Order: sequence, then structure tokens, then C-alpha cells
Amino acid sequence: MSDLCIETKNLTKQFGQKIALNDFSLNIAKGGIHAIVGSNGAGKSTLFRLLLGMESPTSGHSKLMGGFSESLSAKERGRIGYVNEEHTLPGWMKVEAVKKLQQSFYPQWNHNIYNQVIDHFDVDPKQKVSALSRGERAGFNLSMSLAQRPTLLILDEPTLGLDVVARQSFLEALMFAETEDDMTTIYCSHQMEEVERIAEQLIIMEQGRLTNNSTPEDFCKRINYWVTDWDNKKPKDKEIPGFLSRRVIDGRQHILTVDQGDNFSGYLKEQGASDIHQLPVNLERAVNAFLTANHKKPENLPEYS
Amino acid sequence: MIKASVIKIEIVTGDSRPVFKQIIDGIRMEIAKGNLSAGSKLPSYRGMAMQLLINPNTVAKAYAELSSEGLIESKPGLGLFVVENKPKINESERKSKLQKAIDSFISETVSLNYSEQEIISELQISLKNINFVEKTEEHNDE
Repeated sequence: MSDLCIETKNLTKQFGQKIALNDFSLNIAKGGIHAIVGSNGAGKSTLFRLLLGMESPTSGHSKLMGGFSESLSAKERGRIGYVNEEHTLPGWMKVEAVKKLQQSFYPQWNHNIYNQVIDHFDVDPKQKVSALSRGERAGFNLSMSLAQRPTLLILDEPTLGLDVVARQSFLEALMFAETEDDMTTIYCSHQMEEVERIAEQLIIMEQGRLTNNSTPEDFCKRINYWVTDWDNKKPKDKEIPGFLSRRVIDGRQHILTVDQGDNFSGYLKEQGASDIHQLPVNLERAVNAFLTANHKKPENLPEYS
Repeated sequence: MIKASVIKIEIVTGDSRPVFKQIIDGIRMEIAKGNLSAGSKLPSYRGMAMQLLINPNTVAKAYAELSSEGLIESKPGLGLFVVENKPKINESERKSKLQKAIDSFISETVSLNYSEQEIISELQISLKNINFVEKTEEHNDE
């Protein structure tokens, strides 16, 4: 039995000229909450569609819980939960009717979990779905997904557009409901605050490639922040190893680099920089610098290995 | 059933310290200040996580680190407790931890334009506030 929940090998998906996923090899261990961060169009949706076997890859393959995506049985599919930011549900139906319908599809449905999760939200079973707020719909969706007792739960920006209260309820329900112990959660979000609170692993996707898969703190260690005095003789940005971004603040160069380690100060000195300081980096700054750099210079994607 | 102590720590997002490190630092400080005395029971992973609105596995990670440092210990079937006997860390490790703390203290202090005397006296007041002097004496008695 595989210890991996998700396993993709050289997964590639091309739509005409556009490469949505590029030689994408990702292993996700069973259990825990894994955040996926990536700009819009990074290939997240394509990845999910391929994982669930809804589309075929151009090349490579993917496995879910040890079985190939394209030959998942109905039973295996029944153990995958999916919540996206739309929270689309039939508006004309009553909450209890939608729940009943959903329940009929999932033989392993667990009432206790449903009740526990829905308790975080003010949802009346007699209400029509169209009368629910966005936050309530999100909560209703999460309750149904967790009650299915999924072994894999994919949440695609589930808190997008929710207010502070609904967002907090959603995170509480997700983290503290007594669900299956071996559930693996994939959480896509651009909210670094949420990622910091909930994620054990940070997966970063850029332009169809995997560029990070580590704990958030190990990712932060990849990024260094340097402040230095540098005259006109400094090298061009693209000549600086691991260059992410540079700003001039009060005459000083503020430079962010990736994968250069602490030895980078040696490089700076060699290049004539003086008064070199290293500053701490928080997760949000690290992720932003990482993503922004590659937006500007797609030919210089740092490969994750 | 022994009730868990209340741990008055806070975590912030956007800090350069990861959340589990903030928990470690917070609990260490609570122990040092005497707010968490020897023998106190720590909240469960879940309880601490709910209080801080973070992933329970992150709390587990922080507790594991505190256990390996010998500050807390697990009593099977009862939970995790602040140790009765102070942890024995080896001398070189102890020294290097002190040096690291001093370095970071100095790097934050040096630009504030206080005189050496002013800094030392402020430091002494803070150490007195957490009964640090008495504790070191205890340490010597052992």
C-alpha cells in the first residue's frame, strides 16, 4: 500500500499551443493539510481535473491513493471531496433536501460529522439555498464534503469573498471537526495568513510547474533578504544568482534572492557591495517575491527538485 | 482528570518566526516567568490549536520540540506536563544558546543609543521581574 495520497510523474497537459502542466512531478504524503499556492493560470485546476481522471494527460501519469487517476472506481471517487470558491448549489432547493440528495450518493455518510460542522454556521435546514449568505453556503458545502468522510479533500479557494467571521468559522470547522484521521486536505489559497495558520506543507505552482514542496518554514529559508550599499558597478539584475527582486530604498539596495544561502554576502562583497545586512523574511514576503519574480521573467523559473 | 493550565500566549501571522516557533518561544517564556509552574498540565494539541486558531499538528510539532528540550514531559494516559526537574542540557549547548540570545539582543539594542550602563540596568530589572536570580541559585543547589 502506498504512503502517498497523490503521486504525479512527469505529468504534462497541453491545450493547443498552451502548456497548462509542464513535466509536473509531485508527491503528497497521506494525512495533513497541504497548501497549494500559485498565481491564476498556474495550472491548479488542470492538475485537479487530471488527478480526478476527468481529463487525460498529454504525457506522464498521476495516481490517487495508489490507483491511476484514469481508472478510478466509483467507490474510490466517492472518497474524494471537492469544494470550490463558487459554492454552487441549487438555489431553489431547501437545505435539507440538498443534504438528503447528497447523502444518497455516499454510503459512508456520517451524520455526526455533518451536524458538528454545520453547527459552526447559522444554517436552518428549512431555508432555501438561495437565501443563504456566501459564508453559509461555504459552510454547508464543507459540512457535506466532510460528512462524506473523504480520504482526500480538495478545497479550491474556499474562503474567497467570505467576511472575517465566516472565514474564521470555516477554518475552525475544517481543522477541529472530528473527521477521519487519515484525511489528506489540499487547500488552495492566496491568503498567506490562512496558509500560515493551517498548512503543514507548502506547494507552489508556477506556469504549470512545481517550484516548491516543503514545510512553510523551509520555504522561508530558501528566500534571503539583503540590504546593501552598492554603487554603479553592480551587476545587472539577471546576472545576480538567484535574483528575485530589487528595490532602492533611501539609497540602499534591497535585494531578495532564492536558494543562495548565507554565503551570498560573500558574492555581494566580491561584487563591490558594502555595509551588507541580512533581514528576516516572513512567509508572505517570501511567497510574494517568489511569485512576482517569475511573473516578470518566465524564462528563469527556478526548478524545484 | 487534571485540568490543563491556561496558557496566555498569542501567535501572529506575518511574523518571520513560523507559528510553531512562536508557540515554543511563548511557552518557554511562560515557564521562565513562573506563570507555568513545574507540574502544570499543558492543554491538548486540539485545545491549544483551537485557542490559537491553528492546525493541531503545528501544536504537536511545538510540543515535540519542547519535549526534546526536556522542558515538558508526557505522562502516558494523562497528557503533557511541565517537568518537575529542570532539564539538563550539556554545557556547550547551554553556552551556545546563551551566546545566540545575546547576539540577537545586542543586534536589536545596539542602534538604540543607550549607554552600556542603561542597558545593563534595564536587563537586571527585567531579570529580577522573572525571579531569574532565585532560579539560578536553585540551579546551583542541585
